[in-house]
Amino acid sequence: MSAPIDTAPYDGAPGDSGESRPLLQLRHLSTNIALRRGTVHALDDVNLEVRPGETLGIVGESGSGKTMTALSVMGLLPSGGSVVGGQILFEGRDLRSLPPDEVRRIRGVRMGMVFQDPLTSLNPTMRIGTQVAEPLRVHEGVGKAEARARAIEILRRVGMPRADKIVDDYPHQLSGGMRQRVVIAMALICSPRLLIADEPTTALDVTTQRQILELIDDLREEFGMAVILVTHDLGVIAGRADRVAVMYAGRVVETAPTARLFRAPRHRYTEALMESLPESVTGETGAGKRLYSIPGLPPDLSRPLNGCRFAPRCRFATPECRTTEVTLSTGEHRYACLHPVTATTTATAVRTVPAPPSTEAPEAATEAILSVRDLVKDYGATTGGLLRRASGQVSAVAGVSFEVHPGETFGLVGESGCGKSTVGRLVVGLEKPTAGQIVLDGTDIATLNRRERRRTHRQVQLMFQDSYAAMNPRMRVDAILAEPLEIQQVGDTSARRARITELLDQVGLSRRVLERYPHEFSGGQLQRLGLARALALQPRLIVGDEPVSALDVSIQAQVLNLMRDLQRELGLAYVFISHDLSVVDYMSDRIGVMYLGKLVEVGPAHDVVRAARHPYTQALIDAVPSVDPEPAAPRENITIRGELPSALNPPTGCRFRTRCPIAEQICETEPPLAGDRHQVACHFPLRPEPRTAGAPTGGIG
Amino acid sequence: MARYLIVRLGQALVIVVLVTIITFVILHLLPGGAARATLGKEATLEQLAAFDHEMGYDRPWIQQYVMYVQRLLHGDLGYSFQLNQSVTEAIGQRLPKTMVLSLLSTLLAIVVAIPLGVVQATRRNRWPDYTITSLSLLAYATPIFFLGLMMIILFSQVWPILPPEAPQGFTLGEVLADPAGLVLPTVTLAVVTVAVYSRYVRSSMVDNLNENYVRTARSKGLSERRVVVQHTLRNGLFPVITLLGMYLPALFSGALVVESLFNFPGMGQLFWQAALKRDFPILLGVTLIISVATVLGALLADVLYAAADPRVRLRRSAS
Repeated sequence: MSAPIDTAPYDGAPGDSGESRPLLQLRHLSTNIALRRGTVHALDDVNLEVRPGETLGIVGESGSGKTMTALSVMGLLPSGGSVVGGQILFEGRDLRSLPPDEVRRIRGVRMGMVFQDPLTSLNPTMRIGTQVAEPLRVHEGVGKAEARARAIEILRRVGMPRADKIVDDYPHQLSGGMRQRVVIAMALICSPRLLIADEPTTALDVTTQRQILELIDDLREEFGMAVILVTHDLGVIAGRADRVAVMYAGRVVETAPTARLFRAPRHRYTEALMESLPESVTGETGAGKRLYSIPGLPPDLSRPLNGCRFAPRCRFATPECRTTEVTLSTGEHRYACLHPVTATTTATAVRTVPAPPSTEAPEAATEAILSVRDLVKDYGATTGGLLRRASGQVSAVAGVSFEVHPGETFGLVGESGCGKSTVGRLVVGLEKPTAGQIVLDGTDIATLNRRERRRTHRQVQLMFQDSYAAMNPRMRVDAILAEPLEIQQVGDTSARRARITELLDQVGLSRRVLERYPHEFSGGQLQRLGLARALALQPRLIVGDEPVSALDVSIQAQVLNLMRDLQRELGLAYVFISHDLSVVDYMSDRIGVMYLGKLVEVGPAHDVVRAARHPYTQALIDAVPSVDPEPAAPRENITIRGELPSALNPPTGCRFRTRCPIAEQICETEPPLAGDRHQVACHFPLRPEPRTAGAPTGGIG
Repeated sequence: MARYLIVRLGQALVIVVLVTIITFVILHLLPGGAARATLGKEATLEQLAAFDHEMGYDRPWIQQYVMYVQRLLHGDLGYSFQLNQSVTEAIGQRLPKTMVLSLLSTLLAIVVAIPLGVVQATRRNRWPDYTITSLSLLAYATPIFFLGLMMIILFSQVWPILPPEAPQGFTLGEVLADPAGLVLPTVTLAVVTVAVYSRYVRSSMVDNLNENYVRTARSKGLSERRVVVQHTLRNGLFPVITLLGMYLPALFSGALVVESLFNFPGMGQLFWQAALKRDFPILLGVTLIISVATVLGALLADVLYAAADPRVRLRRSAS
């Protein structure tokens, strides 16, 4: 904490230049959060400005302070949190020196905020209209009838269908995307000058994310307001922000116009972050390369820190970095780095880890380790309390077939509710299929008795999204890792002990962790532990259900690399389930795309992602925000309308037809999954299957 | 909503029928049967047989059960030979008094406990919270008879402003005519309840104040008062509904200690004396009434919950 406050360069003071006065200026902002175990210096000397009408993106990993910045401005810091230094200048007035009532009014009328989780950010027992209109009633003293009318009007403007009906509904009656529209409407009802959106789409599916981001864009223009877009997702920022600020460990480390930042990042952290993205290596040439992963963890902000905070994890750090306080440079593109990226020292030039020789293309001749045929899973839907009646079937999985070969990664991608996780649970035997076959290593597991089935569990293991929740918090690591061995009665105590240490070595954890409990680990370490546990029985197939979705980009890269290394060493096959197309693309040899319980497209990863044949796949790809701020090729731009239909009564025929832009009469009959290597279930595939020489491989035909 | 109510009523009815069966079985499991229990050890076999015949206890069980239920439906809970009056009459005399006392103390408890809980939650881990927490733990830990005695000593001996005895009137009207006498028993009963309720309100309000929707409400620039009263209070009071439902049986059973202490002839005393004298018709009658009250309490809580929480209401009516 030796920020040279007086000498810090700052070139955005009011009246400084001919430029329009900034709407919001943060000067030397410092925020602390007092906890029982000490004080966390969440923000330390943050300097930012937002000009009228512009979108400022704030990007960073968890703990970087991006959300704390937003909450400091809004005065919504969690309990124990307080702004301890600096100024928050809004329209030229320091919010920290104004009387509280005045500040509250400014925040209510001149600013609006949209939060991450739309499912919990509305009051469950208050009608939507009442909540939306509340700022009007409170701050502008508008009458009941007029407030209602204006609530309906603003709900219409955020694209809410049947707005006049929905004002009288309660939040739980709406989907997540619709609830986020309500929150946006609420933030906009007093026509604010500044909208702060904190991870507004992180909890939403990509297609919904796209709708919401476009809405925010449109509204910004319409209302002529400025937007602060806070996100961990570089892709979201790249497409939407005018300028970007990158935060790390409570400080802004780099800020620049968006295009410039993405084209030529200067700070070594920004550079490393971009290299950690799976997209960075899955281009035409880079497929199969290792990701750059930032070693270590972000610093503990409750301790005093010296020098550049990224230095301990930086490839280019020198002793000087650890002792010198670096402040942001001046100009349009500011960065706080002693050894910034220059044209000659880009990371690609210094990438030390050579790409491992690719053991590409698993032999098609080998017999499949897993073969799923016409898998169906229905859940009975019931109504009523005591007198339950079956009211229909929820069709979670409807006739899914695919094969996974040894050493191969089969990616299963789709939005929430598409049935991908159910497929995973069926494959590992956590649930029983309604119909269809799961053939594991040549044996249909339905034909096995209990004991045999238990033995087959050694072959298939599961890796969870939330490894913490998937571990007994009262068990030590040694017990957690030994449990599968005990259940399967593998070896004696010393053999198990030896196996456990071997596992820790494989996943890169120190042996000292054996006596610790799950809560002592970080998210990335927990995923390593989860992987170790899955590996304990030397399985041949691991089903990973969103294994990296809860992790930050840099940590995600560590886990993905580890998974690929182990695959190469142990000849593992993966079923990699994720909603994140770029991660699935990076990891998988082949990809299956699911929609509402059906596989709509299966094929080699590269082809599915770059030459999608099903309109849904294309829409999914188009919806994924790209880190390239200026996409080179014009996109096909298939935009899906509306919302996912209920799986309770799914559409007949092609299940996507209700939202498909090119659907016709014939789509009421079900299209079969047809094709050779690159199969698609569509009457009007976007592309013909590319002619490939050689025998059909990998497909089910 | 209507459908939901009908289903819930049906469930309650089934449970009440089960309760009558259990009560009926207990009546017949009495050592030596009801006749011996009623006529005492000295009775001869002929007397017992005559009694059984007179009461219909020699008929088949099914028939007896039907008769039992028929009598229940006519409000006939049996006859207490000890008190020499019908059970219905005995309960009828005491129940209203007990309910007056219980209702008053519950109302008092709610009126005090909700603001206390809200104050604690909004000033969590600061001195108002610590003070109220300490006081409610103290109140909760104090035996109620000791608390009542202290009340009597303080307010009718040291500082004689209130009578030490509850109203002795025979009818409800006479009881109500002496409100001063009701103060000490009501307050004594309420103190413990306040301690319990305020803890519930506090923890529920703390949970709700940490919810994201409260942060949304604050982002609208609402005053803290409005955030608490308009947004959080309603959701924070849901647990109190459950508590009230669970409290309904206590409304009927009365509070033995307080009734004894203040010499108030209510249900608690009736039950206690019947237990001492092995007056089975009274015991079973009171048991039945309390069981039914328990079922009704749960039903009431569910209905109130549905009325208060649109998530419950709408989901139920949609299905």
